[in-house]
Amino acid sequence: MRLSAWLLLLLPLLAYSPASAMEDGALLFTPCRACHSLDPNERGLPGPNLGGVIGRAVGGDPAFDYSPVLRKARDDGLRWDAQRLEIFLADPAEMFPGLWMSMRGIEDASERKALARFLADPKAR
Amino acid sequence: MNRRQFLKTSAAGILATPALARLAGAQESPFRVKYYPVASGMGSRDVTPAPDGTMWFCGQRNGTLGRLDPQDGSFKLVDLGKGAAPHGVIIGPDGAPWVTEGGQNAIARVDPGDHKVTLFRLPEKEAYPNLNTAVFDRGGIYWFTGQSGIYGRLDPKSGDMTVFKSPRGRGTYGMTITPKGDIWYASLAGNHIAKIDPTTGNATVVDPPTPNQGARRVWSDSKGRIWVSEWNSGNVSVHDPADGSWKAWKLPGDNPRTYAVYVDDKDKVWLTDFSANAIVRFDPVTEKFNAFPSDKAGANVRQLDGKPGEVWGGESGNNRLVMIQTVAPA
Repeated sequence: MRLSAWLLLLLPLLAYSPASAMEDGALLFTPCRACHSLDPNERGLPGPNLGGVIGRAVGGDPAFDYSPVLRKARDDGLRWDAQRLEIFLADPAEMFPGLWMSMRGIEDASERKALARFLADPKAR
Repeated sequence: MNRRQFLKTSAAGILATPALARLAGAQESPFRVKYYPVASGMGSRDVTPAPDGTMWFCGQRNGTLGRLDPQDGSFKLVDLGKGAAPHGVIIGPDGAPWVTEGGQNAIARVDPGDHKVTLFRLPEKEAYPNLNTAVFDRGGIYWFTGQSGIYGRLDPKSGDMTVFKSPRGRGTYGMTITPKGDIWYASLAGNHIAKIDPTTGNATVVDPPTPNQGARRVWSDSKGRIWVSEWNSGNVSVHDPADGSWKAWKLPGDNPRTYAVYVDDKDKVWLTDFSANAIVRFDPVTEKFNAFPSDKAGANVRQLDGKPGEVWGGESGNNRLVMIQTVAPA
């Protein structure tokens, strides 16, 4: 195979960078913005504020009234880390049955990773 | 079992499960409550009665539209496509179910005969609208909402679609049509209701008197009054467009969370309260509430619909449909 053909095959890999992963994460967060904000000053939305969610207790936005299953998770001491968030995003109601939020999980593992990475980045707020 | 395997299994035949019935309480007769288990993990949510007596219901978690036969509790699932996440379903003038299909960013029509799925995709520039709820107007135009802050119209005959930006951005949620043909929607994040002018497509905002109330869903009664389920305040409120008046009532119990609203053929108002895990009936004449708690925790009934004598909902947290009989059996 000629060098130019190899380059063509490798182009998508070369184009994938942390920056594009962040863009993917930002894009994936677009539908979430109907209920959630990353701006700590924006309150009163239908979903909890997600600024700084990684490292925070599950059900840990003090200004938000969570569903019973998330209140129990908080009382049990569960915290959000990237891994837990990625599993959650695969099927939220599987992890927390009876959750008030309603969404279909994200099937693609790379999308879940990109979204979790975006939410973990302070620059996203 | 993964989703593909499950669909293969369910497509092989009609699934039958026993329906469970109980009385809501002797003093509340004739309000008999009946549960219909459907597929595990499907997230059965919005429902609507079909003209033939079956019930259509959305499986948001597994991307299917279900069809329940209440006679024997059997059901079928229709796969709406890869990544489908159906939210709402209504019956069109053609007798078919029409679905706000958020996963594929499309309006889906399912043929009631052969269950063939036809998609009407939103324009590419509206990539993340979070499709929510819809109504048909008197001229057969399909109007829909998207929670990201849009509403739109689709002409099913030509396939022409127009998308409008909601006047105050995100939150556009439930939708209703009055007997006169006026179309209203509720904005959950925007804390208002709005009336759409079908000619221009413009929406006029009407602010409820309770601030930050979280107007989630709306339903018209027979007189064209708009009943509103207020998620944040825990109220049910009513707006009369004829004189601009408002009235509101707090649901019973601690910290109610009013999610769904439906007005039955007798103008009684049915609501769901997530805090109480209950369907709640409100009589506008006596101003009294009756609560019908689910017999399972975390029911999460997100929408109600019905037909004379029956109110229906989907227990999205329990993968069941629930029906409450509103008249005594003959």
